[in-house]
Amino acid sequence: MLLEIKNLSKQFGNVRALSDLSMYIAPGEVHGLVGENGAGKSTLIKILTGVYQLTSGQLFWNGGEVHINNAADSQALGINVIHQDRNLIPSFNGVENVYLGLQYKKKPWGQVDWKRMNKRVKALADELNIQIDLSLPASMLKPPEQTLIELLRVLMTDCRLLILDEPTASMTDRETNILFRVIRELKNKRTAVLYVTHRMEEIFQLTDRITVLKNGMWVDTVQTKDVNIENLISLMTDNWRSESIDIETQFGEELLKVKNLSSQDGVVNDVSFSVRAGEIAGVFGLGGSGRTETLECIYGNRKIKSGYIELLGEEYVSPTPARSIQKGMAFISEDRRGMALITSLNVRENITLSTIDDYAHFYVLDDKRQKKDSEDKIESLTIVTTGTEQPVDQLSGGNQQKIVFAKALMSQPQVLLCDEPTQAVDIKTRAEIHRLIRELANQGNAIVFVSSDLKEVLDISDTVNVIANGKTKAKLPNHQLSSEQVLSLCYE
Amino acid sequence: MTTQQKIRHVLKHYGTMMAAVIIILIFSLLRPDAFFTLQNLVNISRQISLLVIVAIGATLIMVMEEFDLSLGSLASLGGIIGATLAVKSFPIFFAMLIAVLCCALIGLFSGWLITKFNILSFITTLAMSTIITGIIFAITGGSTVFQGVPKSYRSIGTTMVYGVPLLTIIMILLTVIFWFIMRHTPFGRKLYAIGGNPRAAFVSGIPVKKMKVIAFALCAGLSGLAGVLLSSRLGSAHPSGGDGLFLQAYAAVFLGKTMFRGGVANIWGTLVGSIILGVLANGLTIMQVPTFMQDLLTGCIIILALVLQKIGAKTDD
Repeated sequence: MLLEIKNLSKQFGNVRALSDLSMYIAPGEVHGLVGENGAGKSTLIKILTGVYQLTSGQLFWNGGEVHINNAADSQALGINVIHQDRNLIPSFNGVENVYLGLQYKKKPWGQVDWKRMNKRVKALADELNIQIDLSLPASMLKPPEQTLIELLRVLMTDCRLLILDEPTASMTDRETNILFRVIRELKNKRTAVLYVTHRMEEIFQLTDRITVLKNGMWVDTVQTKDVNIENLISLMTDNWRSESIDIETQFGEELLKVKNLSSQDGVVNDVSFSVRAGEIAGVFGLGGSGRTETLECIYGNRKIKSGYIELLGEEYVSPTPARSIQKGMAFISEDRRGMALITSLNVRENITLSTIDDYAHFYVLDDKRQKKDSEDKIESLTIVTTGTEQPVDQLSGGNQQKIVFAKALMSQPQVLLCDEPTQAVDIKTRAEIHRLIRELANQGNAIVFVSSDLKEVLDISDTVNVIANGKTKAKLPNHQLSSEQVLSLCYE
Repeated sequence: MTTQQKIRHVLKHYGTMMAAVIIILIFSLLRPDAFFTLQNLVNISRQISLLVIVAIGATLIMVMEEFDLSLGSLASLGGIIGATLAVKSFPIFFAMLIAVLCCALIGLFSGWLITKFNILSFITTLAMSTIITGIIFAITGGSTVFQGVPKSYRSIGTTMVYGVPLLTIIMILLTVIFWFIMRHTPFGRKLYAIGGNPRAAFVSGIPVKKMKVIAFALCAGLSGLAGVLLSSRLGSAHPSGGDGLFLQAYAAVFLGKTMFRGGVANIWGTLVGSIILGVLANGLTIMQVPTFMQDLLTGCIIILALVLQKIGAKTDD
């Protein structure tokens, strides 16, 4: 065996990201790794590449036990990884990037022998039919071309195990074909490949065996030829149905309507959905499907290429956050520390940030009213804090998230866009946020609820919109929907 | 709290203030006759008045975590425009107003460039500073403007009100006004929000670009005003007369930043920073310390203040 993993566990605080995983990878094998978001795929990759250290368990490499304490240990074994987000130096050209971390060829006097290096890389590229101008800096290459450059770098080393993490995201067919050819060639050279993807057809095209993870646990390892797509999806998810939420509620007018929305960067590519007063519209998509980006387009912090947005019965052209808030739409960003909170400010200043102009009398702020309104929100959302003047970076994650909600609610929005509103919060806060969202809907507001947790989407939504590859795949009333039904739409 | 933590806590919160007090005490003890007299304190207040005005402008920019390196040349330009127009027998008030407005317009333009094309303020204003110096030489041909500057032009810079220089009064007024703006108006709080996290501020509906442009215009206007007042005090305008204010102003802002939690720029801190620099310069001159020693000491004190604050900051985490 090339790599054998025995009883591997990884714990973050109280959270088990991986528990008791055992599997092996043989030389020359292409091994698929599949599972929903949060199944533990990334954690496993990070342990193998030395980013994380395992909590318990053993790793064997060619039969001998090894400890991977850092990235250098991992590379010394011959493990290489290619991530979704590429790892090149933007100002370096193709050859320089390929030689990154490798010994440069030298001339007798110690100068770098660029000629020989260029030739070596060019020969390798030609051999694989990779047609990229290697003299261009990486910043001028398209993302898939950058991935191919990384692939060249891997091939220059004596790679024994190549880990590919969603490598084909944003690749065209031609580039995918090159990648697949390289993988087959590596296979002939007895290099093992661990292939992680959401794309089922690639799994079936490429792999010999597939390991399925779910909630940090090993579910099964199967021979690819013995299974079909339905078998695999049923292994990945507990097949359970949403309780039929009695949708006796009569929904009101459509408050937000989106038609054929596309973003300038192409991540969102033809999304349509709508949400009515009193409705919670769930939006589910896998990582990279464009679910977050869709909300950002509607709210106005991502550029729109084409499409039609109607907000409260009026066409809404080229949105900006300021105008969205004015018109009665608020946004809870998934990036709490990056886009939602200002951690250098205190609780009061964060809660009143979006509505600060309402507190000015002839340009002078009414501190008392600000304080009182903030206190009201602290009470109604049961935020645990020493008071309105406490800096928000001293609060726990759950309470910080409540501050984000408090800020959004201050402008009394009729349409609330929530992106992963319960991520990294404790169970109690999660339940409170769910209750709050339902309450807001019952008051006649329209809620868009985006989550990568399918169970959560099915738990809370009235309707479920499925997004894959930047497109809406389906709009389903959440009436005895099964997780398999929704997932199979994503994997189509 | 252990003793060590207590010392750190004190250093962090009061270090800069303590430094100011200690410096004043030392000079008072060494030269009680010359330093700690009402006359000399009034003197210091006039000496730092222009620095404070420029430093207030720099504070607005630093609050947003941006830089304006053109403050010094803007001050020079303000003085040149004011004095030149006065020589051409413009009414004094209008000569000064036009000078300030010209500078504010340049700031507006810098701000527009920075936000429109999303370029670094550091480099943009450095380039702008070179352009301004070019404009000054085009206007003056490189010589000091002093011939024909009317006496009335000097009035603002030299008038005393009940024994207090008018410049000092202007400085105090502007300090209070801008403290109020930064603390008690949406405008000021938005600038702090932008400095804390520009993306979150934008997503929260704050018009980040507009705020930045306004702040750059205000800062440039204040620099221009300081230049006008300088030329009014001297009765002449030198093509690089305001340039020296630039480094001093940032030194004052950085000293002031060390006074508060999180090290955020603020108006009171800037005032204390300016006072420290002013007292040092004044005291060392009285003690007849050579200029090179003054520069050396000033630099050391700024570095010391920054180091002490970092040491103190460790208690927070």
